[in-house]
Amino acid sequence: MVVILFLVSAPLFIMIKYSISDRSSVVTGGAVIPLWPHQPTLEQFRGLATMDRFAYSALASLEIALLAVAISLLIGAPAAYALVRYRFPGIMVLATFLISIRFFPDIVSVVPITETFITAGLINSIIGVALVHSLLSIPYVLFIAMGVFEAIPRDLDEQAQVLGAGKLYSFVHVVLPVALPGLAAAAIYVFLLSWDEFIFAYFLLVFGDLSTLPVLLRKILSWTPQHNLLAALSVMLSVPVIIFTFLVQNYMRTGAAAGAVK
Amino acid sequence: MLQGIRKNIFAILALLPAVLYLVGFLLIILFTVTRYALSVPELEGTGFPTASNFTELAGNTEFTSALVRTVLFTVVGTPLELLIGMAAAFLVVREFRGRGLIRSIFVLPLAIPAIVTAIILYILFDFPGGHINDILMGRYVFFPFPLLSSPVDWRGSGFFALAVSLFGKVWRDMPISMLIILAGLQSVDKDQREAAATLGASSFQTFMKITLPLLTPAIATVLVLRSIELWKEFIFPFILAGSYPLLSTLIERAYHEWRNPHEASAIALVLLALIVSSTILIYCTLTWLKKRLVRV
Repeated sequence: MVVILFLVSAPLFIMIKYSISDRSSVVTGGAVIPLWPHQPTLEQFRGLATMDRFAYSALASLEIALLAVAISLLIGAPAAYALVRYRFPGIMVLATFLISIRFFPDIVSVVPITETFITAGLINSIIGVALVHSLLSIPYVLFIAMGVFEAIPRDLDEQAQVLGAGKLYSFVHVVLPVALPGLAAAAIYVFLLSWDEFIFAYFLLVFGDLSTLPVLLRKILSWTPQHNLLAALSVMLSVPVIIFTFLVQNYMRTGAAAGAVK
Repeated sequence: MLQGIRKNIFAILALLPAVLYLVGFLLIILFTVTRYALSVPELEGTGFPTASNFTELAGNTEFTSALVRTVLFTVVGTPLELLIGMAAAFLVVREFRGRGLIRSIFVLPLAIPAIVTAIILYILFDFPGGHINDILMGRYVFFPFPLLSSPVDWRGSGFFALAVSLFGKVWRDMPISMLIILAGLQSVDKDQREAAATLGASSFQTFMKITLPLLTPAIATVLVLRSIELWKEFIFPFILAGSYPLLSTLIERAYHEWRNPHEASAIALVLLALIVSSTILIYCTLTWLKKRLVRV
């Protein structure tokens, strides 16, 4: 237990340690690297704050993630509702098929997608990356949202319809408000997926000026930078993820057995 | 028919965008990857359906060694992920104080982006001056045993580079396997184990005859999901084992360095075929094993 606790938390410690290291604790010229920096400093974070590429990339990451959340929820939530509420033959097969599209290996689809997007003029653009991230997210949205809608009693929308509401009206004004907390979890999940995503973002943005934060990290790596800069950037990339993950931890826990966690 | 459509118009309109989006992209991907894999850049001579990309790959040592590495990576990694996940699950399944907190800490690797984990390992296993080298050379007060006399170039050796990548992958995935096994363990009835114990079974016998067979669905899930993930693992080997490509990182190299989307697509299809056949194989083996195990 102690061993596992140590192994689990050590990398986090190393990341934070490096991010607040001063130059002399990183570039030691052959001497031992100290376990705690000689003079802890926030200079790397200050450096990032004044670095244009960092600000642009963070903004791009944010825009892409929010766009992916919007697209995948707009497309995924109504579909999940229909999959749960309507029982025509074959609908469960359709649901299983749509959800299991997420097992399609990303590294296999990255070349055809990049080639298609080059033809369509979608590389090096926010919308292009957001479209792919939505593609990756929709199966997860379907899975989470189906669970959410299933938990809402059918009577609720039926009564609204008895009282004269149309199907669209009862979905938007009666069911959606009740489903909102669950859908928020789906939104956070998509946000994280997009924020972390590396492979597609890298292929679509590698030769351009635009970067998401993970892609920026890789681009910086090729200049063999000081380790404290890498670590500071890693901290900035991880902070939202760590916070949000603990918020949706319970959803992940119940979903893990069904393969809902990547 | 028409009436059926009109009656369910809301459901159809709600489903259509999602179906079109997912299936559309899937068709574009499958179509493009197959078209590229079966054609060559200069269309003269060989024409469209040609297997020349594949025959060329078969004679390419870079491809064959990447294939061998990928198979080893998956064959070693999948059982490792299962064992680590099981160990962690058995640790936290018992009731004890602070279990909630410990479980939250155990989920931590999942909360760190994979690329960040890869970068941390990149820093830790740096050469010549990294923490791991310093520790193994006994340069710290807490571990004064020089196991190495000179630093090891971890990323410069195929074995170590892939071992470190695998370590990172297993580290990051540990919570997923743990959560799946945990869910399986919690569904195994306590009564059944207690009944076995009452009947005089040792704890080892109880484990082998009761817990393990009842855990097979969870184990099957872990093996299938993890093996798929290991076949296509990209980020860790990309950052940590750049000179020793797996099939996944070879796709990137074929695309960016050789500038050959056709060979990249051919490699992608080989990888896809491997994933599909290994998944079927694992599934069938486990079904067969389960039949043998549960036969009472």
